Amino acid sequence: MTDTPVVRRRQWLTDSRRTHLFAYALVVPVLLLIIGLIAYPFGFAIWVSFTDRVIGSVGNFVGLANFEYLSRNATFGAAISNTIFLVVVTDILKLGIGLGLALLVNQQLPGRGLFRSFLMLPWAMPAFVAFLTWRVLYQPVGGGLNLVLTQTGIYPHVIDWLGQRPTAMPSVILASVWRGFPFWFISILAALQSIPKELYEAARVDGANAWQRFWMVTAPGIRQVVLVTALLSSIWTANAFEHVWLLTQGGPSDATMVFPVLAYFGMQTQRIGEAAAVSVSMMPVLLVLLFAVTAVMQRDDER
Amino acid sequence: MILGRVLSYLALGIAVLLILFPIYWMVITSLKLPREIYRVPSLWPKAFTLDNYHALLFDEGFLRPILNSLIVATTVTVVSVIFSAFAAYSMVRFRYRFRGLIGRLILFAYLTPGSLLFIPLSILMAQVGLSNSLQGLILVDLAFSVPLATWLLQGYFRSVPRELEEQGLIDGLSRMGALLRIVLPLSAPGIAAVSIFVFTGAWNELLFALVLVSSENQRTAPLALNYLITSDVLPWGPLMAGAVISSLPLMILYFVAQHFMVQGLTAGSVKG
Repeated sequence: MTDTPVVRRRQWLTDSRRTHLFAYALVVPVLLLIIGLIAYPFGFAIWVSFTDRVIGSVGNFVGLANFEYLSRNATFGAAISNTIFLVVVTDILKLGIGLGLALLVNQQLPGRGLFRSFLMLPWAMPAFVAFLTWRVLYQPVGGGLNLVLTQTGIYPHVIDWLGQRPTAMPSVILASVWRGFPFWFISILAALQSIPKELYEAARVDGANAWQRFWMVTAPGIRQVVLVTALLSSIWTANAFEHVWLLTQGGPSDATMVFPVLAYFGMQTQRIGEAAAVSVSMMPVLLVLLFAVTAVMQRDDER
Repeated sequence: MILGRVLSYLALGIAVLLILFPIYWMVITSLKLPREIYRVPSLWPKAFTLDNYHALLFDEGFLRPILNSLIVATTVTVVSVIFSAFAAYSMVRFRYRFRGLIGRLILFAYLTPGSLLFIPLSILMAQVGLSNSLQGLILVDLAFSVPLATWLLQGYFRSVPRELEEQGLIDGLSRMGALLRIVLPLSAPGIAAVSIFVFTGAWNELLFALVLVSSENQRTAPLALNYLITSDVLPWGPLMAGAVISSLPLMILYFVAQHFMVQGLTAGSVKG
């Protein structure tokens, strides 16, 4: 009689069930964290963007009013075009520089390990340190860039790089590329090193010149990595806050205004509904990029 | 052939020079007297001084933010690695319903940028009474570091041979024992890389600190430096001293563990 409950429990908690429970128990804390602090806020942001919420008041549902307001707002328009411009130009430059340097380091050069270490340095620096340093470099007074240009005679006049419209955006781009190219460089280098040497030999035997070998062997070998890197880099650049915030805060007169900085300013003015609408208007493009990159990364991961 | 080699070295040399110059400028500015920063700027200062470091640490009280940053980054690293090791092990070793969905959710969460969520998260933190506290900042950092760590650790755990674990189970280890005694030690390089990435991420975090923290004694290092440049006088010397101090922990990690980091970077595509 007294044994019955034990027997029953054993039947219910079979080895396979026990293993399953264990497996779920291990993953549940992470799942709760993601649901509570990523998924729920994600949905909450969308809800808030349809309300006239301000600090201290929950606000009412106002439909698309915030988005209509933004569509008529010049700063918002500037943020859209600046963000797109910044992402496209930095991606192209990082690809060009990263690929070029990866091809150089991939040769049988003595000391290439040392070059690789140095080329990765900007990535090892904290982003805020990198952009604060560039802020100082660009200064008209005490800045290293003007000093080098005037002392070498390349350009005799001091330029207020971050303070005037024509140079502000290029300056932000230069600093972002400096900090961001190592990620491209090392990803492409790893892909180059995984291309079998025999493929190059075979192409050489077939009489392909260096240019043809690049397009027939190298390009297909790194295409996948470049795709993933471009998607990731676009997501991160479009949503980066530090570079613009620490260099220009979006100025002068919105010349470098981007989405995350505009959303932050919106929050500072305490009009939470509008600020959330700024973030939410990025979501459609972002979701497309996210779906694309998760699909590619999961496929790679399971291979 | 020789010409090609010379040109390669030339190009690489120029690239290294362009990379080192900003770092050089950061260090040299931090060691300059104000006169040589503002009035007679020079590429190589005539006099070196530690005044900027002294001013930063004692007049600006930079020790507190550095300590706060260390507390936040260390806590986030330890907690992330523990939770994500459990989750990654579960994802890699067991087959169960919704596993694919959970995997996708983790990857999605890792790639979701913080700039999209800082508004709702700051409201949320205020509601649970954790705004303006290091705990709140730690919690928010965890939301972004745990998915990253889980994603990366899955890759490392997958390379541990299943047979070793099965042998351990036959020898009487529990599943938990197999994870702690076999899988974790064999993934030590991966754990090291993931710890460094998570530490770096938390150490670098500025946006959430800006939104969540208001009182001076809760500021982290990036936040303290941020407020240094929003004041009226722009103290480039102390600012660059702060930049040097803030990059030291990461630079040391980079030179010690470069090999693991580069491997991890290319394995899991870590935020740059």
